[in-house]
Amino acid sequence: MAELEVALIGAGGIARTHLPAWVALGARVRLYAPDGRAPALAREFGATSVGSLGEAIAGATVVDVCTPTDTHREITLAAVAAGAHVLCEKPLALSAAEAGEMADAAEAAGVRLYPGHVVRFFPAYARLRDLVAGGGLGRVAVARFTRTGRYPTWSGWFADPLRSGGILTDQMIHDMDIARWLFGDVVRVHARHQGHLTNPAPEGAVATGTAVLTHAGGAITQVVGVWGPPATPFRTTFHVSGTGGTVQHDSQAHLDLRITGRATGGPADGIPAGDFGESPYLTQIREFAEAFAGGPEPRVSGRDGVAAVRIAEAAAQSARTGRTVELAPPAPLVPRPTTVPTGGIDQ
Amino acid sequence: MRVAVLSFAHVHAATYIGLLRDRDGIELITSDPDAPPGDPTRGRQLAESLGAAYVDTWDEVFALRPDAVVVTSENARHRHLVERAAATGAHVLCEKPLATTEADARAMIDACERAGVGLMTAYPVRFSPAFTALRRALADGSLGGLISVHGANNGSNPARSRPWFADPELAGGGALADHTVHIADLVDVLLDGEEAAEVYAQANSILDDDGGPAPGVETAALVTVRYPSGLVAAVDASWSHPPDHPTWGGLAMTCVGEKAIVEFDAFPPLLGGFDSATGRDRWEAGGTDLDAAMLEEFLDTIRTGRRPSPDGETGLRTLRIVLAAYESLRTGQPVALRDAPGTEGG
Repeated sequence: MAELEVALIGAGGIARTHLPAWVALGARVRLYAPDGRAPALAREFGATSVGSLGEAIAGATVVDVCTPTDTHREITLAAVAAGAHVLCEKPLALSAAEAGEMADAAEAAGVRLYPGHVVRFFPAYARLRDLVAGGGLGRVAVARFTRTGRYPTWSGWFADPLRSGGILTDQMIHDMDIARWLFGDVVRVHARHQGHLTNPAPEGAVATGTAVLTHAGGAITQVVGVWGPPATPFRTTFHVSGTGGTVQHDSQAHLDLRITGRATGGPADGIPAGDFGESPYLTQIREFAEAFAGGPEPRVSGRDGVAAVRIAEAAAQSARTGRTVELAPPAPLVPRPTTVPTGGIDQ
Repeated sequence: MRVAVLSFAHVHAATYIGLLRDRDGIELITSDPDAPPGDPTRGRQLAESLGAAYVDTWDEVFALRPDAVVVTSENARHRHLVERAAATGAHVLCEKPLATTEADARAMIDACERAGVGLMTAYPVRFSPAFTALRRALADGSLGGLISVHGANNGSNPARSRPWFADPELAGGGALADHTVHIADLVDVLLDGEEAAEVYAQANSILDDDGGPAPGVETAALVTVRYPSGLVAAVDASWSHPPDHPTWGGLAMTCVGEKAIVEFDAFPPLLGGFDSATGRDRWEAGGTDLDAAMLEEFLDTIRTGRRPSPDGETGLRTLRIVLAAYESLRTGQPVALRDAPGTEGG
C-alpha cells in the first residue's frame, strides 16, 4: 500500500481509537483539533500535530473526521474540496439532507466517503451478518439489539441534542445501521427516549431510548440504547429469530478474560475497545485504507451512512412528535464512477 | 376445600391439576366437556392419566358447589365459566389473558364483585422471589426512579400442541396477546397499577408461515408501552423460541433506574451442559415453582378472605394494553388507551 498521508481531525475518544490504527498501517498522521488536545495525543502515538484545519487537510490523501457530529459536514466538505478521501465518524451528520450532501459532494469530486460504523467490524456482528446473509437463520422475523454504557459525560457535546442528536442518533444509530445491513431497508420507525435528554448532563445522568424498525421485507427490529450510571460496564447484546432458529450474543457473557477482586470505584470505560485479537477499529481502517488505495469496496458505503442517518432522524422525529415516521424506499442510486479519478491515493 | 379445574384447553390445566391433586385439604374435581372427542390430551383421558376426579358436564361441576375454580378454557371462553362460578359462590383463578374483549373482562369483574367472590388473574411471574427483591429495591429508593424497562417473553408456538392458540376468535390474537401481558403485569406491579397511556406495536407471522400451525395470527410482536409517569416499556412478545429447544422459552426483563440497572430472569437455568442422548444442550430449570407460588396465594386468599392479587382489574389493565396494541397494528401508529376501540361498552 502506498504511504498514506492522513489528516486526523479531533483528539477525543474516537480519535484515540483511530490514531493507533493508522499508525499500525504505516500511515503518516497529522492531527488537528480545535480544542488544543491534538499535541498531547500526537506525542503519545508518534504523530505530528498541526495548528489549523487547512494545514492538516492540505495534501492529505485521507481526512479522518473524529469531531463532534455537528461539525462533520463542514470538515468533510472541506476535505472533499481538497481532493481527499474521507473517513467520517458516525453519524455522518445530524440530518439525512446534510449526510446526503456530503455523499453527493464526495461522488462529484470522485473521492471516497466512508462512515465509521465500526460495529460492522466487531467480530460478533460480522459473524451475525454472515449467518443472516448466508441463510443460516432462514427467513428472519424479529430481532432485538441493546447497547448499554455509561452516560458519555466525559465530553459535554454528547448530551446536547443540537450537537450529537442525543442517544437515539449518537448511540442507537449503531444498531439501526446493523439492522438495516442485516434485514434491509427500513420503512417505518417508532421511537421513544426518556431520562436526562438535555445539556448539560451532570455526572450520574441516565438516559434510554427504544426504537422499533419495520423492514421492507417484513422483519421487525427492536433497538434499545442505555446511557447508564457511571459504573455501567459497556455491553451489547442481540437476539435474532428466523425460520431457521435463533442466534444471540452478549458481549459480557463469555469473556476471554475476567478479572475480579480488584478494588474499583472509578467510572467504567465508555468506548468499547473490542475483545482480544485485532481491534475492530484497525479492521475498519485497514478495509477503508485498501479501498482508498483503489481496492475493493468496504462493507459499508457512504450511502449506508446516509441511510443510517435517515433512520436515526426518523427516530428522533418520532420521539419528538409521538407518531411513527414512514420512510419511502430510497431513490435509486446515482451510478458510481467505475474508476477512481486522479487525485486518489496513488498520486 | 373443593377446587374445580374447568377445561383443559390451556396447557396450564395439567400443571394446575398436578399441583392441586396431592395437596392436603383440597378435593380436586375437573371437567372438560368442550374437548374434542378422542383427544388423549383432553377430557376424561387426560384426567385419568393425571389421576384427577372428572365429571362430564359443567352442570355436574357446579352442582358440586366448588369453593374455588381454576378457569383454563380458551381465552374467549373464560367469561361464561367465570360468571357461572361467581353465581355459585366460587372464587376464581382465571388463566391469562383475562378475556379477549374489555366488555367480557368487565362483566367477569362485575360478576365476581356482585357475588362477593375473589377474581384472580393467573400471572405467576410476579411471585418470583427475585422479582419481589427487585420490587423492594425499587421501593427503598436504591435504584432511583425507573426510566425504562425492556424485556422479552419468548416461547415456542403453543398452537403446535393446541391449535386454538392460533384462532383469533378463541385466543384473541397470537403471540402478542399471549405474551405481552406477562411483562405488562410486572410493570403494573412496579408502577403500582398505573394505567398505560399509549401503546405501539408491530408484528408479523413469518415464523411458522410455511406450513406451520399459526398462519392466522402473528407469531412475532414488538410492543412499546408508555405510562403517564414517563416510563417506557419495550417488549418482545414473540413465539420465536424454536420448538426443538430444550425449554419452552423464558422471560427476562431489564429495568433502567436513575441509580442502577437491574436484570431479572424469571426462569434461569439451574444446570447446563450437553445431553448426548438427545444431542441437545442440557437445560435443568431452576428457581421457584412460580405456578405453585401463585396457587398458594390464590388458596390463601380464600382461606383468609383477602382480596387476591393480581386481581381482575390487573387483568383488565393489562388486557387494555393488548387491545390497544392490536389497534396499533391496524393503524400503524401509537394508540392512546382512551382511544382504543373495544373499550367500555365496545
